[in-house]
Amino acid sequence: MEKKMGLYICKGCGIGDALDVDALCNIGTDEFNIPICKTHDKLCGEEGVNLIKADIEGEGVNSIVIAACSPRVMYDVFDFGSDKVLERVNLREQVVWCHPPQDEDTQMLAEDQLRMGITKAQEMEPPDPFIAEDMSKRILVVGGGLTGLTAAKEAAKAGYEVVLVEKEKELGGYLKRIYKLPPATPPYEEPKDVGLEDLIGEVKSNDLIKVYTGATVESIEGAPCMFDVTIKHNGNGTTERVGAIVVATGSVPYNPENLEHLGYGKFDDVVTLQQVEEMFLNGEVKRPSNGQPVQSVAFILCAGSRDENHLPYCSSACCVEALKQAKYFKEQNPDCSVYIFYKDIRANGVYELFYKQVQRDKVFFVRGDVTGVDDDGSGKLILTAEDVLTGSPIMSESVDLVVLATGMVPTTALGEPYKVPTAEEGEEIEVPPDTILVSNILNLKYRQGPEIPALKYGFPDSHFICFPYESRRTGIYPAGSVRAPMDYARAIDDATGAALKAIQCVELTSQGKAVHPRAGDMSYPEFFMQRCTQCKRCTEECPFGAINEDEKANPLPNPTRCRRCGVCMGACPERIISFKNYSVGMIGNMIKAINVPDEYEEKPRILVLACENDAYPALDMAGLRRLEYNPWVRIIPLRCLGSMNIIWIADALSKGIDGILLLGCRHGDDYQCHFIKGSELANIRMTKIKETLDRLVLESERVRVEEVSITDYNRLPQILNDFAEKLEELGPNPYKGF
Amino acid sequence: MEPKYVSQEMRDYIIEMGAETITWCMQCGLCTNLCPWRLVPGETSEKFSIRHMLRLGQMGMEGFEDETVLFACSTCGMCQSNCPRGVKIIDNVRSMRASIVGAGMAPANLRPILGSAHANGNPWSGPREKRTAWQEGLDVPKFGPDTEYFLFVCCHSCYDPRSTKIAKSLVKILKHAGVSFGVIGEEESCCGESMRKLGDEELFQKLASSNIELFNSKGVKKIITTSPHCYWTFTNEYPELGGEWEVIHYTQLLAQLLDEGKIKLSKNISQKIAYHDPCYLGRHSGVYDEPRKLLSSIPGVEPVELDRARELSLCCAGGGGRIWAEVPMGERFGELRVIDAVEKGAQMLTTTCPYCMNMLTDACKTLEKQDVLEITELSEVIAESIEA
Repeated sequence: MEKKMGLYICKGCGIGDALDVDALCNIGTDEFNIPICKTHDKLCGEEGVNLIKADIEGEGVNSIVIAACSPRVMYDVFDFGSDKVLERVNLREQVVWCHPPQDEDTQMLAEDQLRMGITKAQEMEPPDPFIAEDMSKRILVVGGGLTGLTAAKEAAKAGYEVVLVEKEKELGGYLKRIYKLPPATPPYEEPKDVGLEDLIGEVKSNDLIKVYTGATVESIEGAPCMFDVTIKHNGNGTTERVGAIVVATGSVPYNPENLEHLGYGKFDDVVTLQQVEEMFLNGEVKRPSNGQPVQSVAFILCAGSRDENHLPYCSSACCVEALKQAKYFKEQNPDCSVYIFYKDIRANGVYELFYKQVQRDKVFFVRGDVTGVDDDGSGKLILTAEDVLTGSPIMSESVDLVVLATGMVPTTALGEPYKVPTAEEGEEIEVPPDTILVSNILNLKYRQGPEIPALKYGFPDSHFICFPYESRRTGIYPAGSVRAPMDYARAIDDATGAALKAIQCVELTSQGKAVHPRAGDMSYPEFFMQRCTQCKRCTEECPFGAINEDEKANPLPNPTRCRRCGVCMGACPERIISFKNYSVGMIGNMIKAINVPDEYEEKPRILVLACENDAYPALDMAGLRRLEYNPWVRIIPLRCLGSMNIIWIADALSKGIDGILLLGCRHGDDYQCHFIKGSELANIRMTKIKETLDRLVLESERVRVEEVSITDYNRLPQILNDFAEKLEELGPNPYKGF
Repeated sequence: MEPKYVSQEMRDYIIEMGAETITWCMQCGLCTNLCPWRLVPGETSEKFSIRHMLRLGQMGMEGFEDETVLFACSTCGMCQSNCPRGVKIIDNVRSMRASIVGAGMAPANLRPILGSAHANGNPWSGPREKRTAWQEGLDVPKFGPDTEYFLFVCCHSCYDPRSTKIAKSLVKILKHAGVSFGVIGEEESCCGESMRKLGDEELFQKLASSNIELFNSKGVKKIITTSPHCYWTFTNEYPELGGEWEVIHYTQLLAQLLDEGKIKLSKNISQKIAYHDPCYLGRHSGVYDEPRKLLSSIPGVEPVELDRARELSLCCAGGGGRIWAEVPMGERFGELRVIDAVEKGAQMLTTTCPYCMNMLTDACKTLEKQDVLEITELSEVIAESIEA
């Protein structure tokens, strides 16, 4: 694109009082030869915006640098169309609001931030969205239980075509074997009818929903809006093209055979919740041992749950399921003795009212671990437990039936770990592999493995705090009990949420835009293949499995799988991966645009590479709260710390910059990285930085990584000042002036 | 440790005695935390946990029949009015007591009390014919067909020499205000409130039906009570047994009369006076404002509000039959109450319940604070102020 630059500096919000704006203007004119450099008292006002628009129309300006407030605000006001290049220089939050006004160092900071912004604008090109042929907006739902049926119904209601695949002959899933559901309407005291037939009927009669029963997904090839799904049914294979996928394959009960200590397998009258549902469903509530009616029953909650030797987690629904079944027995016979042995009763929300009702029905609640299930000598069972509430061991009366409330195991956990073909020996960086279990659900034709990566315990959620339904495979959204243990009501909510996610995905992708978290971004990575060395670093480090490879081991990017984080760009040792508006060279040149005073001026320079998702907003918030920190910092936002290429460190140090601070998200088990592994990868790369520093004969303390979350703004001045102090100790970078 | 046995039969028996809400308890322990027993040291405090007692009851487990535990609760209602499950804790305590007392196993120290109530119609071992002794020289009207209010004087104020002053003061005030009232006399029996709380259900039924029969036969329509305990049982327990009258605590009536200008408080009483909310008038019956209004209407009085007031009032320890309990010094709630008042700089601590007055007077003596704090019943202060 033939560029015509325009620089617009705002004097509002205190900028004009704190800075010499004319001097800033002169940088545009004198240093960068920008033909149009203007200032305005309130650039975001109608007059200010019109000033820019007039230049676009009249002067043919197509590359705009706005030096004003943070790019996180006024993005709608300063939107001049995607065919223009736009760069925002943050003079307000990160310069005048956190540094003293009319100060030489503040002015120098503003000038450097401006130089970096102009440099970036000079190198950026407007993005050219990726739009392929034959893009589909249909949604595949895998699993025809409560979640799958609901997701299909909801997507169809919104006008989207759905392909539903169910492995059993009939739709309904787990619900088919359920007698009643927990209460869902006031006064929340009675179990309610399942009503599965209505839901199935709605799905079957909807013309937008194509149902395959007795069918499995044999393979899925492609990427969002271009998934080719091979469905095996009746011995035949059919291929359907879909845009996004909802995984609703649910969970299975934990294997009770592992619970011999609670009497399972030892006594016929020790059963599971599922067996009791079937007893009531079939109208045959009898003791398995002798066919006699059940006059007394004991439930053991957390049977194999919240237990290090079994499932360490809580399955969240079993408490209410047991309360519901206690009610079954009490409804059948109010005098039936019912015991519930529990760790904690987790009956959240309106289920509290149900719990109260079951207490009113005179069920015995015993809080404590069951220590024994034994024959009382007459064939009935006696339970002993450590009752926390009386502080003593207690013994129940004899009961006819013992019911184990076992937890949920997601269907994605049912498989052996997939072994990713690893790169050659002697590779520089070892990336911890994702956990992918071969559960035979999606059978993805992805280089990284056939299923969606799992978190702990085999649940495939990608980000438990911020983004439910997201998996680490773009366009594939787990919902219901496969994603996290949950009850029926929450599964319905989940299904609706995931359906909406799938719809967002097909809509954005078909317009060439990224999905969450960079929703709407039209840039995507481009590979300069002539220089590729087939090192596989990009394919392995991409957190989303976006990159396959061909038979010659060349990377094969799938742009619609891409979330535009730039991790591949940070990984590539040959630096052949770049975006139209974000590249290794571009950031490198921004670093080079920083004016580094020589060592005698005693003005150190610190490069801050800040994650755009948490650290950068935290810096803005520090400004918003007028927290002051040293004026030596020069901040460059990164899409993700994982896009940090090690060459930038070398660029900065060889230019004489005294230190580099990387601000990224927390990683590890409770990671907060929006791109899952970005900050972790940056950290791994930093362990290798020592070689670079050694080569330059520099101290390793000159580079520091800090974890910052969005709420850490009040810690930032301390972090920045501590680092400046450390650098003062080390003395100036000897490369200054070279 | 040997395991304890759960017994559904025992649990169901306690429920049958009236502990209908005992299974509602989820054992959160808020009750124990709010219990005034947590504020004092000693053996009872260490042994008695209302949460634990309810636990034993709801599991039908042995252990609750220990007298120190079973009869410790003063039924102040602090726990009950804050229970997140709405458990009627006092009913449960009463029922657990009833399951023991009903089987003829009342504790030795309570037997003379219950016996006297059986024989004399009062728990104070006073002969029936002495019930009206306090009226001597007062010319107290007899309740007759044309009398508007029946004045029911608590047994305590009929027999306890200090407490008779309440009855006398009230007669004086009612006469001053020109209220049509009268007493029945010797045939009256104890209201039975505390007997029921002690678990003697049979005795309560006997006393209540005797009173109901008597009051109805005399044509009673409206009752003034001196004690909040009588007020509470007449209002909450008698109706289902056939005793349905318009019942009013004397403070409510006097506040009304004050509004109507029928009471003239003229004598100056220049004192800082703190008011102690009785549990049965406050938390149990919701009457907080009338006594305060009366107190502040007395010329010269500077009312002092205690920190633990109204819904948070601290029990005097006289309810639930505890008025007959022997409690070592240093473990009495009343002592804390006296300290509350002294620390606030009050010169007088007044209340509106004969039991409270009794307990607070004892505590004040124990602490040797008589010189700095006077304990009174509100009717006495009002009676003094209308004297001039």
